[in-house]
Amino acid sequence: MPSVKLRDVQVRIAGLERPVIDVPQLSIDAGERVAITGPSGAGKTTLINVLVGLERPNTGKVIWDKIDIFDLNEADRDGWRAKNVGIVFQEFHLFPGLGVLDNVLLPQQLRSFRSSAEHRMRAIDLLRHVGLTRLDQDAATLSRGEMQRVAIARALCTRPSVVVADEPTASLDKNSADAVTELLVDLSGSLGATLIVITHDSSLERAMTRAIFMDRGFVMTSEGNV
Amino acid sequence: MIPARFIWADLRRLWVGSTVVVLLIASATGLGVAVNLQERALRLGSARAAEGFDLVIGAAGSETQLVLSAVFLQLAPLPLMPGSILQKLSADPKVEMAAPVGFGDSFDGMPIVGTSAAFIDSRGHGKLTEGRIFRQISEAVVGAKVKLSIGDEIKPLHGLPDEGGHTHGELAYAIVGRMAETGTPWDKAILVPIEGVWRVHHLVDGHDDREEHEPEPASMTSIRIGPPWNNPPGVPAIIVKAKTIADAYRLRAEYRRDATLGVFPAEVLTRLFATLGDVRSVLAAIAMTTQALVAAAVILVCTVHLSQRRKQLAVLRALGAPRRAVFGLVWVEILILVGLGVALGVGLGYAGARIFSGWLSATSGITGPIALNLEDLTLVAVLLLIAAVIATIPAAMAYRQPTSIALRS
Ligand SMILES: Nc1ncnc2c1ncn2[C@@H]1O[C@H](COP(=O)(O)OP(=O)(O)OP(=O)(O)O)[C@@H](O)[C@H]1O
Ligand SMILES: [Mg+2]
Repeated sequence: MPSVKLRDVQVRIAGLERPVIDVPQLSIDAGERVAITGPSGAGKTTLINVLVGLERPNTGKVIWDKIDIFDLNEADRDGWRAKNVGIVFQEFHLFPGLGVLDNVLLPQQLRSFRSSAEHRMRAIDLLRHVGLTRLDQDAATLSRGEMQRVAIARALCTRPSVVVADEPTASLDKNSADAVTELLVDLSGSLGATLIVITHDSSLERAMTRAIFMDRGFVMTSEGNV
Repeated sequence: MIPARFIWADLRRLWVGSTVVVLLIASATGLGVAVNLQERALRLGSARAAEGFDLVIGAAGSETQLVLSAVFLQLAPLPLMPGSILQKLSADPKVEMAAPVGFGDSFDGMPIVGTSAAFIDSRGHGKLTEGRIFRQISEAVVGAKVKLSIGDEIKPLHGLPDEGGHTHGELAYAIVGRMAETGTPWDKAILVPIEGVWRVHHLVDGHDDREEHEPEPASMTSIRIGPPWNNPPGVPAIIVKAKTIADAYRLRAEYRRDATLGVFPAEVLTRLFATLGDVRSVLAAIAMTTQALVAAAVILVCTVHLSQRRKQLAVLRALGAPRRAVFGLVWVEILILVGLGVALGVGLGYAGARIFSGWLSATSGITGPIALNLEDLTLVAVLLLIAAVIATIPAAMAYRQPTSIALRS
């Protein structure tokens, strides 16, 4: 199972004196459940972007199992992410006008044109697991809690080894938030996947095995909390 | 295919914008197609109308006027030639047929044209669809689109169709035959023996060398019609078929001096269309400018649309869709809109040309074939090709946009 190591990672924005993030060293082991917390503007989203190869740091390495993902070209990095990473967004980002099952299958189908029967079966299983049975219901008509559950099914359908989520419960009511927390922990646990969430939600934070606190671009504390 | 459903969902969500883009493209394409179709129809239609009129001879004056009157029946008062010219031409060994045409009367807005039986034989491949050719002065043959039946009787109204005037009480024509459709103004003409026109206008009948006199109405039916004529009165135009092409050129030269004018209608038409060609290029330029403006508008709409979709496309990539798929989605979507617009435009252009051509045929009698051909297909192909190239701009923008925006709001 992959673990990740960051070395001397800095993201700088032209015109800003201080780097947006400055992480000399950070390791996350395979299967860990990590909560990233910190004030707004601390660099949490930037850190996740860098971790999964969505944003190239100005300096440093991001090494997943001996592969520095920024040594790969863009297409290979996309391919690596498609194979290894599942992402859940705060605002869900489902595709309106498409059915629930289509939402789960679309990204992979854009990669391989046909989704395999196995992939389809897994999508249906996952959707059932997260409590959705009307597979052709237009995603735009779902409740917010349902939307995030579909998004979780979408993130986990490809059996990723890393699941990242940026404030996945922030725009949900308490009940939906708890359901989402439980699903994230359960499903990534059953895959043995590493789970990294950015959150201000204390119950989601408590469900993690480790907390990273960031401030002004630095990782201030990084401790296990079991 | 889920990607197809994704594109469809996107177009449906933005249906107002999509519809506007399709309609814009359709109108620009339609304009271009209509201009092409109509110009071609007009050219072919008038060329067809000039068929069979190898050489037209009239009194000295305007060539265009002569052709418009004698060939297209856009009647204007033409100066008369002395009747002796008709006689001379009829006797000329270079001439296969020389038929006078004389105007001046109308019925129900349709021109009554006086001529000889030989002319009717040479028109419409010599075929009558009904009845027979006129055999006496009080008989008439009608064009295919004249709404009169065999056996009907008409009283000519003096004056050209749009001039009005008094009826001639002294002569009535009975319809005895109908010519085949030619798609020319002659389809709406009523053809009578030239002697009738002479007689109605109180000229001698051309078979008689006595002084001009007023004939008795009762004696009308007994008058002989057709060549040979003897001292015929003046005629405005004579349609001539020469035995050979060389003869035609010789005849034209011969009658191109002094008081007469010999013209090849086809030649006059060519000159006329050279002028029309300028009009056409202006129209084509207008159509092209419209297309360019529409292209600019479409690019603008696509760019705005794309900026609204940046997030969605970045999310797709964050979730594992490759870059080329993002490029393809944007490109295909634009091409679908353009394709729909162009297809609709061809339909609109075709319909527009049909309507215009119907109006033209109703007013001028010239029927041109409205048909799509390779030239239009080329226009369509070029438009699609340009769209395919232009669509790569927004598609490339989507391809190049950073993935990091997926997680930012
Ligand atoms: N492309 C950019 N241009 C300018 N500033 C940027 C850019 N990307 C990030 N920043 C800045 O970097 C800082 C860190 O941003 P980041 O989104 O990582 O914060 P965050 O910890 O996720 O905050 P929040 O909790 O509000 O989401 C912010 O001050 C942000 O304004
Ligand atoms: Mg953030």
